[in-house]
Amino acid sequence: MMTLTSYLMISTFLFLCGLVAVIARKNLIAVLLGIELILNASALNFVAYTRFVNNNLDGHIFPLFIIIVAAAEAAVGLAIVIRFFQIRESIHIDDATQLQS
Amino acid sequence: MDNVIFIISTILTVGGALCVLLTKNVMHACVYLLTCLLGVAGLYVTLGADFVAATQLAVYVGGVVILMVFAVMLTGGPNSQSSNKFGIVKIPMMGNAKTYIIGIISAVIFGLMAYKVLSRVITSIQAGEAPVFTETVEKIGFMLVTDHVLAFEISSVLLLGALVGAAIIARPKRGV
Amino acid sequence: MNNTIVSYLSQFESYKGLLESFSSLFGEAGPGLLTFLVFLIGCILVVTVMATIGGLGTYAERKISADMQARMGPNRVGPYGLLQFLADGVKMFLKEDITPNTADKFIFGLAPLLALVGVFGTLAVLPFSSGFTLSNLNVGVFYLIGIGSLVGVAIFLGGYASNSKWSMLGGMRGASQIISYEIPVVLSLMAIVLMSGSLNFGGLVGAQGGLPQEWFIFHNPFTFIGFFVFFIGALAETNRAPFDLPEAESELVSGYHTEYSGMRFAFFALAEYIEVFVVCGVGAAAFLGGYKVPFNLGGEGIIGQVLQVLVFFGKTLALYYLVIMIRWTYPRLRVDQLMTLCWKYLTPMAIFNLIGCALWIYLLDSKSMWDMLAAFVGSMGTGGGH
Repeated sequence: MMTLTSYLMISTFLFLCGLVAVIARKNLIAVLLGIELILNASALNFVAYTRFVNNNLDGHIFPLFIIIVAAAEAAVGLAIVIRFFQIRESIHIDDATQLQS
Repeated sequence: MDNVIFIISTILTVGGALCVLLTKNVMHACVYLLTCLLGVAGLYVTLGADFVAATQLAVYVGGVVILMVFAVMLTGGPNSQSSNKFGIVKIPMMGNAKTYIIGIISAVIFGLMAYKVLSRVITSIQAGEAPVFTETVEKIGFMLVTDHVLAFEISSVLLLGALVGAAIIARPKRGV
Repeated sequence: MNNTIVSYLSQFESYKGLLESFSSLFGEAGPGLLTFLVFLIGCILVVTVMATIGGLGTYAERKISADMQARMGPNRVGPYGLLQFLADGVKMFLKEDITPNTADKFIFGLAPLLALVGVFGTLAVLPFSSGFTLSNLNVGVFYLIGIGSLVGVAIFLGGYASNSKWSMLGGMRGASQIISYEIPVVLSLMAIVLMSGSLNFGGLVGAQGGLPQEWFIFHNPFTFIGFFVFFIGALAETNRAPFDLPEAESELVSGYHTEYSGMRFAFFALAEYIEVFVVCGVGAAAFLGGYKVPFNLGGEGIIGQVLQVLVFFGKTLALYYLVIMIRWTYPRLRVDQLMTLCWKYLTPMAIFNLIGCALWIYLLDSKSMWDMLAAFVGSMGTGGGH
């Protein structure tokens, strides 16, 4: 049951869910949720390959950096969303149409 | 017996991801993301990556999800309705049918691409005996300060930049 | 990789006999089933004991506060009022479960459960004794920090879901307080992890001894300060003592659990009391020598294990008494004073601690102050005695 194929299928499914969320949602924060799903899918891929192919621990260190970068990027992204809300009073993507107000 | 944790974690992950996609309420979506991240931490545990699982728990569950929930509340809450320039009130969370069709088409294209790449990889890698679980904390710590020390230091500068930048960007404008 | 209670028990002959019988009964799934059963019984035991301690915590708080205020606490329900917490529990069972009409029903129901999950998950790594730790994870300290942050999420969700202004304010203040005070707590624990060299609780406690001079709190001036930073931060993490603005009774009409009644409120209260026990346990294990018995009485057998459990509970309950005393002594901090205390005072002190501990280990080869004092007195006695 716990073969490499099953982990790869789970990570592909996570990636696809994140992809559809990024493309199809119209709330800025929902798009950021989709980005988190995509990053988690890629980190899961790394760890799965480490276990089943070679036990090189580089495959554990890179997911650590993915987690760190994802947290930093979520913080900055949400700060931008809050600033956008302060200017436009809305977090709908379709209202983000002008470069400078 | 040892497949039980794998099955539970898979259900949490896959169910959480699907529910993030399908719900109408952004606060519910954050809770489902929390479930999904807990499931991924469980999957890391089944793969023998104990330090990565603990980091996932501490950073994502204790950091990113709280951040998302705060941002939802600071931007008007999940029941905010916005009317665009034509005066039509829209629920910001769901897209219309056009975006979902585009999303699903791109997902199908990407899924087929991934299948084509992965099928060759899967048939060529014969997974032999899975290695015994070892403790990874010491080895990861050692590698972080010898092989990967540059990435380690740069990531600390990155986090400092993100901290200061996020604080400045989100600060309410005072005065002029 | 890990020591668990199963690996401890498998040293005994009776366990091996049980293993044989299970293998013969269930074939291949036998050992897994037996492991699962042992863990199940262990978890049920720990959860029951902890829930009782949570309940007795309410009773102890009322009695100790009464003692400090020169009155009698509850003394009617049982001998010395000991069954008061059972009466309170029955009362909460029988209360009507009200859900506000405009509340978010899914999150309203989920928040107390998340709080309990976060707290009960930390019980898995608490070092009760060298053999009875449910699971001595290799990343124990880190896992505890991660699971403990679920309580912050639960408080925020509880405040949001009640759809009332008081609860929302209490929830936001509570969550920001918890995530702010995680930083001094984690940094102080990291100084101890540096000194003991491993993230698992068995290693943390094993690096200390039984007698007070071998505890980590008296090892360094830096760990001494670190203990107080950890203690203050832990008080703020559990929304307790002078930091209980999120649930302040006189200010926010009970904060984030205003709209909860009956069993849901009991879940929040139970989670708070058990979390106080857990952080006192972590403080006792990391700074005060954990389960180590002075002079290693009792050895390694069952008597030794029981003595270790008693020593651990004694130290933890002493810290618990201190927590209760502090609550009824000091006035409440305002929310800006709270944030100032964390970011301007405790975090720089914790960072300074960490650097100081690292320097102490590097320069002085991690000898404790007692060792250096003993060596100095010894050399003075033999060298310069007139």
